[in-house]
Amino acid sequence: MSQPSHVSPDLTPMIDVTFQLITFFMVVTNFEQTQADERIKLPEDVLAKPVKVARREELVINLGFLRNRDGSKQDSEPWVFLIGEQLRLQDFGPRLQHEARVMRVRGDEQRVRDTTITIRADADVPAGVVQQAMQLSQEAGFEKFALKAKQAAEDG
Amino acid sequence: MAARSTTRPGYTRIDVPMTPMIDVVFQLLIFFMLTLKIIAPEGDFSVNMPIAASGEAAASAVQPLQVRLIANPDGSLGQLMLGEQNLGNRSPDCFRRLNREIGDIVSQSREFIDDLEVIIDSDYGLHYSHLLKAVSHCRGRMQGGQFIPFIKNIRFAEPRPPEL
Repeated sequence: MSQPSHVSPDLTPMIDVTFQLITFFMVVTNFEQTQADERIKLPEDVLAKPVKVARREELVINLGFLRNRDGSKQDSEPWVFLIGEQLRLQDFGPRLQHEARVMRVRGDEQRVRDTTITIRADADVPAGVVQQAMQLSQEAGFEKFALKAKQAAEDG
Repeated sequence: MAARSTTRPGYTRIDVPMTPMIDVVFQLLIFFMLTLKIIAPEGDFSVNMPIAASGEAAASAVQPLQVRLIANPDGSLGQLMLGEQNLGNRSPDCFRRLNREIGDIVSQSREFIDDLEVIIDSDYGLHYSHLLKAVSHCRGRMQGGQFIPFIKNIRFAEPRPPEL
């Protein structure tokens, strides 16, 4: 009868693969787009290219609808999703005025002007709502805007 | 604990304990797998709208181009106009026409290219995707993977009141 022997499996290939996987997930994970609301179905456009240099001061406003699991709209009136809050357009103005006041207290007037209001609006939102949101932002002192769109492939 | 096993006289083989490292590596792997959120790449169009220039056209040597988007009651595009010119309502053909017209205007006024401005005036109920298309087609064109810029000064007219 043979003696029982201690067999140690070769772990090197498994560790190699595991490290490869970790590296992949680390590279792919994007912690920056946490303000993007998944309920918003952005319009697509071929010219929408990601910005090369991240903006220093940015306030993301999501304009969209409450949707069911199948993607259908819960109600026809659009909502504003701003930093975890859900507001109607008429409540958005005072909320933004408050945000601008906080910025002025912390910094100066220039900080408000330098802040880019990034609008992520649903493709089906009425254009007037987006324009009104921009107008309310202007009334609060913001001047720079960025309209978000999903990147589309170039067509012929 | 590190186990030692003697292989040859004079040499000691040290077995590094792999279990804690594998534990940590798997924890990391599970963390990154769970936090991964696949989001399609997003781009944006910057629009500068200084407060003073929001109502009236800014003082410029060149008259701003007017793009008018008229909506159907269901929010679809009813008519697209560049100045007095009707470009139709069939998307994407009407937007391609807008792009061509803007391209022609830009190529004819090379020296004033920085002064050129577009004011987009849209009906309240029009779907936002059409408004964004109009912005994009005034901004430029992609040709063979190359971006050809047209007009960068784009702003919106005063929002129209909602249609009842």
